[in-house]
Parts: sequence; C-alpha cells; structure tokens
Amino acid sequence: MEKFIDPCCEKCTHTKDTPCKDFVECCVEGPICHENQECADKRKAIIEKVALDEKFVIS
Amino acid sequence: MYEKHIMICGATGCLSSGSNQIAEALTEELESRGIRDKYRLVMGGCPGFCEVGPIIVIFPDEVFYCRLKTKDMAELVEQHLIGGEIVERLLYKGPDVDAPARFYDSIPFYSKQRFNVLRNSGVIDPESIDEYIMRGGYRALKRALEMDSQAICDEVKDAGLRGRGGAGFPTGMKWGFTNKAPGPKKYIVCNADEGDPGAFMDRSILEGDPHAILEGMLIAGKACGADEGYIYCRAEYPLAIKRLRTAIEQAKEYGFLGNNILGYDFNFKMNIKEGAGAFVCGEETALLASIEGKRGMPRPRPPFPAQVGVFGKPTTINNVETFANVPLIVREGGAEEFKKVGTEGSKGTKVFALAGKVRNTGLVEVPMGITIEEIIFDVGGGIQGGREFKAVQAGGPSGGCIPQDLINLPIDYDSLTQAGAIMGSGGLVVMDDRTCMVDLAKYFLSFTQKESCGKCTPCREGTKRMLEILERITEGEGKPEDLDTLDSLAHSIKDSALCGLGQTCPNPVLTTIRYFRNEYEEHINEDYCQSGICKPLFQYLIDQDNCTGCRACVRACPVEAIEGEKKEPHEIIQDLCTRCGSCIEKCRQDCILITRVGSEADVGN
Ligand SMILES: Cc1cc2nc3c(=O)[nH]c(=O)nc-3n(C[C@H](O)[C@H](O)[C@H](O)COP(=O)(O)O)c2cc1C
Ligand SMILES: [Zn+2]
Repeated sequence: MEKFIDPCCEKCTHTKDTPCKDFVECCVEGPICHENQECADKRKAIIEKVALDEKFVIS
Repeated sequence: MYEKHIMICGATGCLSSGSNQIAEALTEELESRGIRDKYRLVMGGCPGFCEVGPIIVIFPDEVFYCRLKTKDMAELVEQHLIGGEIVERLLYKGPDVDAPARFYDSIPFYSKQRFNVLRNSGVIDPESIDEYIMRGGYRALKRALEMDSQAICDEVKDAGLRGRGGAGFPTGMKWGFTNKAPGPKKYIVCNADEGDPGAFMDRSILEGDPHAILEGMLIAGKACGADEGYIYCRAEYPLAIKRLRTAIEQAKEYGFLGNNILGYDFNFKMNIKEGAGAFVCGEETALLASIEGKRGMPRPRPPFPAQVGVFGKPTTINNVETFANVPLIVREGGAEEFKKVGTEGSKGTKVFALAGKVRNTGLVEVPMGITIEEIIFDVGGGIQGGREFKAVQAGGPSGGCIPQDLINLPIDYDSLTQAGAIMGSGGLVVMDDRTCMVDLAKYFLSFTQKESCGKCTPCREGTKRMLEILERITEGEGKPEDLDTLDSLAHSIKDSALCGLGQTCPNPVLTTIRYFRNEYEEHINEDYCQSGICKPLFQYLIDQDNCTGCRACVRACPVEAIEGEKKEPHEIIQDLCTRCGSCIEKCRQDCILITRVGSEADVGN
C-alpha cells in the first residue's frame, strides 16, 4: 500500500467504480470495515512518511 | 521515515527569485554526501513572505530560512541537517526584530496572521491528494453528501461566508438561488481570472492547495444540484493550471470526481478553461461568455447566472478564495469555528496581496476587522526607508484609496465601502509621501480604460474622457472646472455603465478627489506636484545649507545636470535635468528638495 487508494488487503473494495462511503475516514483512521493491525499499520506508514509533526494530521 | 522535511517555496514568487536553483543545489549537496534519502524535499505552496524569498522551512524544527542563495546550501546541510544547529546567518533579520528570528513565533510578519485559507500552503505537497486527506481534506464533502442541498446552503449562509471575489455577496444565499432554479442541468464555476494588477491571492491558493478548490466546488455542486464545474483560470498561471490538472486526475482516481461519488447519488465532472487574461473576463457574465467560446463581453443582469448562466443553464459562480473557505465551514463543527473569527458583518479571514511601499511585501491572511494600521505596520513592518505613510489603495482598479487619517479603519466589507473603497479581491497597494495621488488615479484609470470592452458607451467613452482630463492635469494643463467635470463624468459612468467594470472604475478618481482634493488643486491652480512625480510640475533643487558636496548625486545623474566641487554644495542645471529622480534616491543627507518650478535655491519649498 503506497497510496491511500491502494487496497490494504482483499477486504478493501473502494475504487472509483465501486466506491465505499467510508473511504475518506478510512484513509487516516482505517481500516473501518474490518479489524486488522497490519492494515492499520500500512495506513500509518503512509502518514508517518510525510507528516511534518504531530499537529499535521487532522481528523 | 525521513529525518527532516524540507519545504522549499515552489510558488511563482520564489520561483522567480530562484527557488528552483536552490532546490537543485540542495539536492546536489545531499547527493554528494550520500544522504539524499534521509530528507524529504518538497516544492510546496507559498508561505507568503515573498519579500524575503527564496524561502525554505525545515520541519519538524519549524525553522524559516530566507533570502537564500545556492552557495548557502552546503552550510545549511552541514550545520543544520547534519549538525542539528540552526544557521543563524540565514534566519530572518530586520528592524522589526531584535535578534534573528526562527518562525511563526518570532517573525512579526506572521504575528497577526491567521491561516484558514492558506492552512495547507507550504505545509503539504500540493501534488499529493493523500496529504490533503491527512489534513482533513474531503471530509466536508462526505458530510455534504449526507446532507440535504438546502441545509448546506443554510449552513454556509448562517456561517456568514461572503464572496471573496469582489462584492461580498452572501455565498449560501447565492447557492440557494441556483438550487431553487428549475431544470436538471446546472453548473458551478470557479472564477480564477484574478485580473487586478498586483493581486496573486488566488494564484497562491491554487498553487498551494488545489484540492481545497475542488472540494469547495464539489460541495457547491451538491448544494446547488449541479453536476459539472468549470475553473476559469488565466493562462498566465501555468503552475496553477498544472497543479489543478494533477489534482483533478487524482480526485478522479480516488472517486471524488465522476459518477456515484463515494457511493452517493451524486455525479460531478470538472473542466478547466484557460482565459486570455482580460480584466473584464473576471466579470461574471463576460466570464460565462468566454467559457462558451464567445468574446468576453458582459451582458445586462438580470437574468443573473443563477437563472441563466453558462450554456443558458443555472450557474453558481464564486471566487477561488470563497471556495477555499467552504470545506472549513462544512466540515463537522466548522461553521461555529468559522464564525468565531471576524466582525459582525464580515466573518472569517481575508487573504491580501500586500504591495507597494511597505517593507514586508507578500501574501497575508488576516482576520476580518483588523485595522489598516495593523496590516501596514505590524504585518507589513511599516513603510520602506522609514518614509511617511500616505494612503493605501484597496480593491485594485475598482477600489479606492484610503488616506492616513483613516488608519484605524477596520478592514471589513462595510467599513471599506463606507470609505469609498471596496474589499475587492484583496489587493492592497501601500503608498508613501512620494506618491502623487493624481498620478495614482491616472494609473488605475488608464488600466480600466484599456481594459474596457467597449460594449457600452458610458464606459468606453467616459473613461477615455476622464483619462484625458487626468493626463492634462498631470501635464500642467489642468483647468479650474476639471474637478467638477471629473466628478460629474464619474457619477454618470457609475450610474449608467453596463457592468461592474464601468460602475466601479471611477472609484480611484473619486476617492483621491475626496481625500486629496488639495493635491488636485495644487496641480491645477499652482502648477505644482508636491510628490515630485508629474515632471512638468516640479523641479529638484539642492539644499545649499545642508549639501556636503559628497558627489553621490553627481555620479548618479545620467545627464550630467549636477555640478559642483567636492565638499562644496552642488547645484542642478535645470535646463539639463530630466527629473529622473536618480539623485534623490542616492542623496544620504536628504538635501535634494522637490520645489515649484522656478523657485530659487534658498527659497526651499
Ligand atoms: C471588471 C470586473 C472584474 C472582476 N474580476 C474578478 C476576478 O478576477 N475574480 C473574481 O473572483 N471576481 C471578479 N469579479 C467579480 C465577479 O463578477 C463575481 O462577482 C465573483 O466572481 C463572484 O464570486 P464571489 O461571490 O465568490 O465573490 C470581477 C468583477 C468585475 C466587474
Ligand atoms: Zn502629480
């Protein structure tokens, strides 16, 4: 998972053609539709790479 | 994980002062040391302080380096990035700080600013949709998609958002008109024409945070029942257009543009239309014509665009900065937060392009209601060279000038209108005592006269006649009745011109007459321009009592019109002097006097 649009695992089905209502929150706080630490860590890794400081992420 | 993030200002201002070369030099330096991978380099949006560009901000340390040269990069890498110590030499210095200053907490330019619209500028990579999402982006869109259209209009209206493009019309109310207009096809248009000379607020927002505009337009689309948008941007803004195109592609990929957005029954298509840069094309009906491929000329209103807009369909048209405010208001709890800033009638913040004779020029975002004094002296650091503040032109060629006496005027829609100026899109040109107010009025009127589209007679002919009178006055051919003629022409044009260009273009003339009538009278009745601008109406003289004979003026004079021995007072040969002003710039003793034509050396003024 390099970008938020990449699926974290096969459970994530959001694409522009099969949209998921929770996609926006899911990017930063996800996964929302399933529980999986690895999937959460993948999102965190994307954030940590670019977040300038602790105030950076706004949810 | 990177050790540090290096945000290089990649906006047009810093690019022109060499930020690309700075980025290249920094990259080379890091590569040659084999540590490039430890640092993230971003060509980000504008931190606003263009006067001291090129700028780099290093995070998480929040250290602001300015006036950088490529040769500084080795030291910056060695001392700060590797050694962990701030390079004091490259920090901000100025008469407004006691010691070199680090960033927001200690640079006076930032002390009274409040970042709503510019919240992401210089903080995110403008080409990354992920970073926009991390900053809370697209959450307001999601919320809007769950709301009823009218409820969104009401919320924006209740927050008190007024249009940032000119007249300050309540945005929620405008959306409500389009929402209620009949028909299945409606449009949202973003006005990014930004035609005021010297203004670059909208450009910076587009360059620094393009997704904010897309999100604002999408929310407007949901509120108005529109499924297609146009961003009308002048072709002179290639970087803004490039960033917008990138943002649109990303938003499509992520499913924020297209069909069934985020799984809701809402579709939206976004287009960019490049304009050729005519001032009148910023006027909404001319802009709509231009989008349709017709000549950019205004038409009478009503019908307003909310009824008959682009391609004859109901259309909402808003300014870039207006749209940039929308996600802040529509997000959870946003309206309440938004309302906390500003005045009763003008909520939120306003971005201004601060230019002219002020020390700190650049882009500033301040709470509505801040006074002119605070903007010019606290944010702007006062007048260049310690000269006297004379007036400020607010609102560009459609605006008016506000004199020194009104320095405590709060900047909000209603106060500015009462003073004869307008908020306009946010240009603020500061003038010192060497600005001739007649010449200023002539400058703005010559701009609007050239930009007049010629469709209606009052504007086409009236501006030309007014300009002829102003030209005569500045050439020493003014007549006593000219002021009455100007006043009467100005009011006829205001009352009868077809569009806002004509209706507002007399404002600079009317306000300068209102506040600086004595200067006009001096030009007309006494053949004298006290500011030393109108060449036939003054002469330079050297103050014989104070001239030290340093020869600085002699060396500066390009036509050898100054003579005198070293250490003896110099003299100007009036027949040769072209009044170019080179000598007055160079004299350190302030002994070059602006005097009436024909005065003698010892008469002074
Ligand atoms: C001559 C003229 C030029 C204008 N130029 C601009 C412009 O460059 N940008 C802009 O947003 N509005 C401009 N306007 C105002 C627009 O007609 C329109 O009122 C505005 O885009 C509405 O957006 P808002 O409600 O968000 O302010 C101009 C108006 C006139 C009369
Ligand atoms: Zn003059």
